[in-house]
Amino acid sequence: MNWEITISGFGGQGVLFIGRLLMEAGFASGQQVSWLPYYSGEKRGGMCSCFVNISEERIGSIFISHPDIAVAMNPAAYAMLEPDVKPDGLLIVNESLVKEKSQRPDLKAVYVPTVELAKEVGDESVANIIALGAVLARAPVVTTSSVIRVLNQMMSKNKPQLELNKAALLKGCELS
Amino acid sequence: MSERTLMGGNIAIAEGAILAGCGAYFGYPITPQNDLLEHMSVRLPAMGRVFLQTESELAAINMVYGAAATGVRCMTSTSSPGFSLQQEGISYMAGAEVPCVVANIMRAGPGLGNIGGAQGDYMQCTRGGGHGDYYLITLAPASVQEMMDLTMLAFELADKYRNPTLVMADGFLGQSVESIVMREPVKSLPPKDWAIDGARGRDRRLINSFEMNPIDHPKRIRLLLEKYERMRLEEVRYEGMLLDDAEIVIVAYGSAARAAMTAMNRARKNNFKVGLLRPITVFPFPSQVLSDLAEKGSKFIVAEMSSGQMLEDVRISVGNQNEIKLVNTYGGVPLTPDMIFEAIDLMS
Repeated sequence: MNWEITISGFGGQGVLFIGRLLMEAGFASGQQVSWLPYYSGEKRGGMCSCFVNISEERIGSIFISHPDIAVAMNPAAYAMLEPDVKPDGLLIVNESLVKEKSQRPDLKAVYVPTVELAKEVGDESVANIIALGAVLARAPVVTTSSVIRVLNQMMSKNKPQLELNKAALLKGCELS
Repeated sequence: MSERTLMGGNIAIAEGAILAGCGAYFGYPITPQNDLLEHMSVRLPAMGRVFLQTESELAAINMVYGAAATGVRCMTSTSSPGFSLQQEGISYMAGAEVPCVVANIMRAGPGLGNIGGAQGDYMQCTRGGGHGDYYLITLAPASVQEMMDLTMLAFELADKYRNPTLVMADGFLGQSVESIVMREPVKSLPPKDWAIDGARGRDRRLINSFEMNPIDHPKRIRLLLEKYERMRLEEVRYEGMLLDDAEIVIVAYGSAARAAMTAMNRARKNNFKVGLLRPITVFPFPSQVLSDLAEKGSKFIVAEMSSGQMLEDVRISVGNQNEIKLVNTYGGVPLTPDMIFEAIDLMS
C-alpha cells in the first residue's frame, strides 16, 4: 500500500508535527517514507501544509496533489483539500473552525471538534493530536501503538506533555 | 553501518560533507538552506573543525577560497540569491584551480523571488555562472540519500579535478525528510602537492587566477578546457528507468524527477510506454544517451521547475527531428505528477 497524506492549516496548529509523527511511525514500521513541509514566508497564522508518503515501494513524488487521507485544520485548508482527495479517500475536518460539510458522496468525511475535545483532555494545544487520532481510527496507515512509541521517544523528558499528547491521541481514536 | 535513519535533505548534505572530511564551512543564512548552516554550526566545532557564519555570501566564498588553498576540504552552502553573490569567488577558484564544494539549494528568482523551491539556476550552474571560460561539475540529487551520497562524491570530484563542484538541489528536496542509509566516513584524503601549507624546506607555491602575459594565458585556459573535456568524457551520470521500450521519455532532475517517476508509473498502468531519464550530473549533461534515444524515435517530455532551461540541453542533445514538450512550473510552485501525466496523455 502507498499512503499519500496531506495535512493543512494555520502555521502554529501543529500541522507539520502530526505529519512528522505519521512519518516516524511509518518509518519505525519498516516502510519507505517522505515528509515535505510547504509554507510561505510567514509562519504562525499563515497557511501551512505538509505532505507525507508512507509506502512499501520506492516513493516518487514528494509533493502530493491527490491524497488518500487529508486533514483540514482550517477553512482555507478545507477549501483547498476537499476537491482533491482521491475517490473513497478520507477527509478529517476540524469542525471547531470549519463549518462547511462536504457534498462529495465518494468521500469519507469525518467532522471532529478538535479544539473542544482537546480542552476535555487538558489543553487546546493538542487539537492537532486529536485530529491525528481521528485519522488512525479510520485508516490503517500506521498503528496507534507505533505513534505512541514515537511520542514516548520524542517527549521522554517532558512527562506532563507526553501524557497530554497520549490522552489526546486516544481521545481522537475513540471517535466513531 | 547500514542502519536506516530519518534525515532532512539539507542535513544530509551537511553530514555527507562531514563524512567526506570537510574541515571548514563558511556560510551565511538564507532560506531554504538554513538548517544546513545551523547543523554545521553545531557539528563542526564539536569535532574540532572550523565553522564560521560570515557577514555575507561574498565573504563566505572568499573564505572558502582562502581556506581551500591551504589544502583543507572546504564548503559553503547557500540559496539562489546568495549563489549569485558567490559567482565572482567561484570564477576565481576555477581560474586558480582550487577545489571546493558549493551547495545551492535553489529557490525562486529572479531577484529576491520567494522561498519556494525552484530549478531556475540551471543555466547559472551548468554554464559556469561567473565570468570567463569555466565549467563546474554539477550534481543534481533527487532524494535525501543522494543529498548525502552526491555531496561526498562532490568532494572527491573537486579534488580530482582541482575545481569547485556544485551540489544543485531545489528547496523542496532540501526541506524534505526521508529515510537514508548512513555512509562510512572517508578514511584518507588525497595528497595536495599544490596547497599553500607552509614553504619550509621546499620551493614556494603560488595560487592565483591571474596571468598578465597574453601568450601564457591562453595556454593556461587550454589546460582548463582539457580538464572540462575530461569531465565530459568521464563524469556523466544518470539514472534510466523503463527506457528499453519507451516511446516517450521524460527528462527530469531533482524533485521534478520524483514527480516524473510517479507520472511514469501511472502512465505504465494505463499502457503508455513511458520511461524516465534522470540526469544526476547536469554538467556534464548526459547528451549521448539522449541522442541514442532520439535515434530510436522517442518523443520527449522535459519536466522542470524553471522557464525551460534544461530544455535547451535536451534540444541540443536530441536535435530537431523528435518532438519535445516542456512541462514546467516556476515561481516556487512544485511540479505535480498530474501535470506530467497530462502531457503524456496528450502526446500518446
